[in-house]
Amino acid sequence: MNVHVMTTRFGAVEIDDDRIIEMPDGMAGFTEQRFILLSPDNNGRFFWLQSVDNPELAFVVTDPTAFAPGYEVTLTPDEYDRLGLDPESAEVILLTVTTISRETGEYTINLLGPIVVNPAKMTAKQIVLENGKYEIRYPLFTSPAPEPSRKKEEVRPAAASLRKITTIYSKL
Amino acid sequence: MLVLTRKVGEEIYIGDRICIKVIEITGSKVRLGIDAPASLRIYREEVLAKVKDENRFAAEWELADFRRAVEQISKDSRE
Repeated sequence: MNVHVMTTRFGAVEIDDDRIIEMPDGMAGFTEQRFILLSPDNNGRFFWLQSVDNPELAFVVTDPTAFAPGYEVTLTPDEYDRLGLDPESAEVILLTVTTISRETGEYTINLLGPIVVNPAKMTAKQIVLENGKYEIRYPLFTSPAPEPSRKKEEVRPAAASLRKITTIYSKL
Repeated sequence: MLVLTRKVGEEIYIGDRICIKVIEITGSKVRLGIDAPASLRIYREEVLAKVKDENRFAAEWELADFRRAVEQISKDSRE
């Protein structure tokens, strides 16, 4: 069944409700529990993790293994349960939250708090890793950052933006 | 919250697999030893607070920021 998700950045997004990702524990510091993954055209690396219930709340996420070679997350039995994962045949998707530094405009990813998605059940959980091995601000790019701009953009009308957005559910 | 008083060297059990021992007290600092199954995540409260802060900060992206990131990544991959 199709549902309409209101967003401040993309207007109304129409999406099949089986593409909604349940995060019972939410993102750390936030209470929202349902998200969708959106991907603009011509872009394979970054996705928007958009809240279904809060139009303003969206994170930019990316696959950490593409940037941090050897990056690994070991899940605890409790986390397997929480995600509804079968320990014998678990397939997960790792995502990390991407941040822009206010001071330098540099892009970093949070390797300390990855998001683990179970695509089979469409559940996800943000994990806080405790071992001190990974950085909370791991630099994303090797080339110098462009000029930062913090000005608010106009939200594009829904009809136009709908065509520009596809979900990556098929890749999940 | 359950509040217990312990001396140096004394322990607290949480269930039968988690043991917390007071190792040392110096001024306002307490050193604790923790025995717990490896399957449990144990971290200082500040770590969780850091991740919460970073999430809040990360939720401030605008579309223009995203576009620049996409441009930069294609530049990076050409180099």
